[in-house]
Amino acid sequence: MRGELHYDAVVIGGGTAGLVAGARLAEGGARVCVLTKGVGSTHLAPATIDVLGYDPDRVVSPSGAMAEFVAGHPDHPYAVLGTDAVAEAVRWFRARVDAGPLAGYRYLGDLDRNYLLPTAVGALRPSAVVPETMAAGDAVRVERTCVVGTRSLRDFHASLCAANLSRAGISARSVEIEVEVDKADQNALGFARRFDDPAWRAAFAGRLALKLQAHERVGLPAMLGLRDPHGVWSDLERRLGRPVFEIPTLPPSVPGMRLYEILRSTLRRAGGRLVVGAEVVSAERSGSRVTSVATRSAGHDARYAAPWFVLAAGGFNSGAIELDSRWDTHDRVLGLPLRGLPAEGGPRFVGDYLAEQPMARVGVAVDGELRAEGAENVVVAGAALPGAVPWREGSGEGIALASGSHAAELVIAQSGAPAGAAA
Amino acid sequence: MATLSTDVLVIGGGATGAGVAWDAALRGYDVVLVDRADLAEGTSGRFHGLLHSGGRYAVKDPRAAEECIAENRILKAITPDSIEDIGGFFVTTPFDDPAYADVFAKGCRDTGVDCEEIDPAQALREEPLLNPAVSRVFRVPDANIDVWKTVWALARGIQERGGRVLPYHAVVGIHRSGDQVTGARLRGAATGEEIEVEARVTVNASGAWAGVVADMAGIEGVRVLPGRGIMIAMNHRLVNTCVNRCQMPTDGDIIVPIRTVCVIGTTDVNTDDPDDHTVLQSEVDAMLDDGEKLVPGVRQARAMRVWTGVRPLFEDSKAADTDSRDVTRAHALLDHAERDGVQGFVTITGGKLTTFRLMAEETVDAVSKHLGDERPCTTKTELLPGSEDGTTYHLGERLSRKEARLADEQIVCECELVPRWKVEQAIERRATTNLDDIRRLLRLGMGPCQGGFCIYRAAGILHGLDGLTADQADESLLHFLRERWKGVWPVLYGDQLRQARLDDWIFQGILDVEHLPAVEAEAVTS
Repeated sequence: MRGELHYDAVVIGGGTAGLVAGARLAEGGARVCVLTKGVGSTHLAPATIDVLGYDPDRVVSPSGAMAEFVAGHPDHPYAVLGTDAVAEAVRWFRARVDAGPLAGYRYLGDLDRNYLLPTAVGALRPSAVVPETMAAGDAVRVERTCVVGTRSLRDFHASLCAANLSRAGISARSVEIEVEVDKADQNALGFARRFDDPAWRAAFAGRLALKLQAHERVGLPAMLGLRDPHGVWSDLERRLGRPVFEIPTLPPSVPGMRLYEILRSTLRRAGGRLVVGAEVVSAERSGSRVTSVATRSAGHDARYAAPWFVLAAGGFNSGAIELDSRWDTHDRVLGLPLRGLPAEGGPRFVGDYLAEQPMARVGVAVDGELRAEGAENVVVAGAALPGAVPWREGSGEGIALASGSHAAELVIAQSGAPAGAAA
Repeated sequence: MATLSTDVLVIGGGATGAGVAWDAALRGYDVVLVDRADLAEGTSGRFHGLLHSGGRYAVKDPRAAEECIAENRILKAITPDSIEDIGGFFVTTPFDDPAYADVFAKGCRDTGVDCEEIDPAQALREEPLLNPAVSRVFRVPDANIDVWKTVWALARGIQERGGRVLPYHAVVGIHRSGDQVTGARLRGAATGEEIEVEARVTVNASGAWAGVVADMAGIEGVRVLPGRGIMIAMNHRLVNTCVNRCQMPTDGDIIVPIRTVCVIGTTDVNTDDPDDHTVLQSEVDAMLDDGEKLVPGVRQARAMRVWTGVRPLFEDSKAADTDSRDVTRAHALLDHAERDGVQGFVTITGGKLTTFRLMAEETVDAVSKHLGDERPCTTKTELLPGSEDGTTYHLGERLSRKEARLADEQIVCECELVPRWKVEQAIERRATTNLDDIRRLLRLGMGPCQGGFCIYRAAGILHGLDGLTADQADESLLHFLRERWKGVWPVLYGDQLRQARLDDWIFQGILDVEHLPAVEAEAVTS
């Protein structure tokens, strides 16, 4: 093992929450290192900023619905964070997207009104802040919709999407475009790289234009470019002379890769370090403080010491929290206590797939400042937090942005003074 | 109402019923095969996939062992396409009585089950994950058999000979004219439409449900005790040989590798209801502990799915002497002319998958007598459709086909390497909108992601084919998710829970299937 590396703060986890915490710590002047086992949730999710979509009925305005939501879920991360913190984090995020590495690419929207965007199966899904490339899919718009698919992309089925949109009251139809591909199994990433190529894109637009009717907006699977999505999207709108929007589909998520690139670049430009392929395998403690963590990666093992740690390694989804075959649940990263577990002997899961599962809200136990119970210099962020069911609530990115920002703010405010001195 | 007329009506589309219909069709009889659900959706589709060598019964039930080894050889010859000839081990672990090994070897010799003792070191070279403390190892000709493939091959064979196969047609009444059973009334599950079947002989091949069907014919005392057993599929093949504990048959003493998974089985609990699919946590725990005895570390591997099957254990209340429990494992053929004075009705129940062909042969021999027109059985030598080239299935078969067609064969299900054209062909051939039917036919969604990626694709393909509405496609998607979850949640831990959470994100997050128009409408009306 190499010698210990010293930072002001070490962030564990490279999903949205971890990258936001790292970037904001770096912007605040901290020497920060983000350790991540691999790329995280960004590459799987649609990359819309979902703040509050369901409670349990569809939420029209996240800011308007927040007070009642928090009152009904007092253990939810939002009960600690509050609407203002979410709004601030969203503003920060939008500004970083604007200043980010993808020229011209923007996010639109705020917490006052949810967009209602089509999913690949044709349901309508509420999201507060969305990539510009998706915004024209909003159900409030009056144009008819033409959903465009290609048989070469197995991960998107335009006919089913359009048929379900029609059932939801949106005038929609579908068309298929033939695309020549070199091998049969293509995903959205392969097509995104093709869309980045102006000649390929022009040919695609030419073929598509012939199939469109007047006054239709065009919905395409979310694959409109990886390097220059703004250029690809605006070029398609110009060539087709109508609004064009992306519809998120199965992973890998192209808009998610863009989001990862934006956050990674923000972190690095602010002087932060990102180490990918560095799984935290053990931690040193001194009393109620974590003093260092060790990582294992291909070339070497390393130890990272810091006065502060942000735990943003995710929950069951990433493997950071594990339920083992003896039905015991652990935080595999730092071994911290958990909260939200079903009562001893109670059911962990129930037989109805679409019901809320008793294990759904498990996370690392935290205090009123989102510090881990039993580790006063560890702040918890993102899907590691207990009390939320983000995939059902439509709250994942709202929690990630706000809790990542909160963690950074707390660490910066407390730095200088020894951690825990205030307690 | 539609009316069909046939020589032989077979009630029950498991391996036994399909085998009976195939045998009768080969003898030149006109047949109709019906099941209340999909073919092999009951007991046949709910076992571990073992084609017995007979070793398991060599000591306890020599006659069953003799039947098994004979049928093992016949099935390998007539339906190799469904069988992977992987061989089996009987191993003496530290948990087994060491004295049983010699008794076992003698039992195999006496019953003609091929059995060769091998050096445990050799067994460990072949199966490195096997418990290193095994002291004796015997090699036997166990194999695995894909029962859905077998039953659908039988169905194709029946149809090619003019027989009719009607899954999703429940028997709602059996007709009697005096002491003669004359057929049955069916109701189609999809449409509710009823069909009258006039049959010269009706065969009750409904396994664990045989008592219920016999009751419908007004025949009393056919008692079938459903014996419920659980099986757990692990997400890959921890072993490539069927591994059995060398002891008297008991719970949790076998691991069967089949296709991309291996299955730990099984338990045996008497139940009153053949549709009882309860899985108790204590059973799961016991099964994993038993798995550890054969392959230490099983608990660190991913358990993917658990299911229950019900064995039909026959108890004839009319029999003079009460059968012992050991004997009830054998199959029972009841000719109701002899037993009850009722003509035109035969019940076959009990038995095991390995002997389905033999059961069918004996049944159709009896049917033949009823028809007054005895014809010889030819199922011992007739190849099933799909097995004409005589080669057995091998594990790399789907991958090698895919490798050869990288440019033009789109894969819908990566776990099980199911290409798109197969899905399209299955939908059209089966005329089904039920993705669960496609799953059984092609193993679509049976791998580690449990449909996480392929089921949206398959629903899209379903919808894209002519004539299917969005609500049918949505319903099929949701039905699949609900059915899948039943087998997933009782064994959900470790990395499989991670996988399930990704699937939750896909279906409840990215796709938001819960808020599809139909589901919302349902929620409002309920």
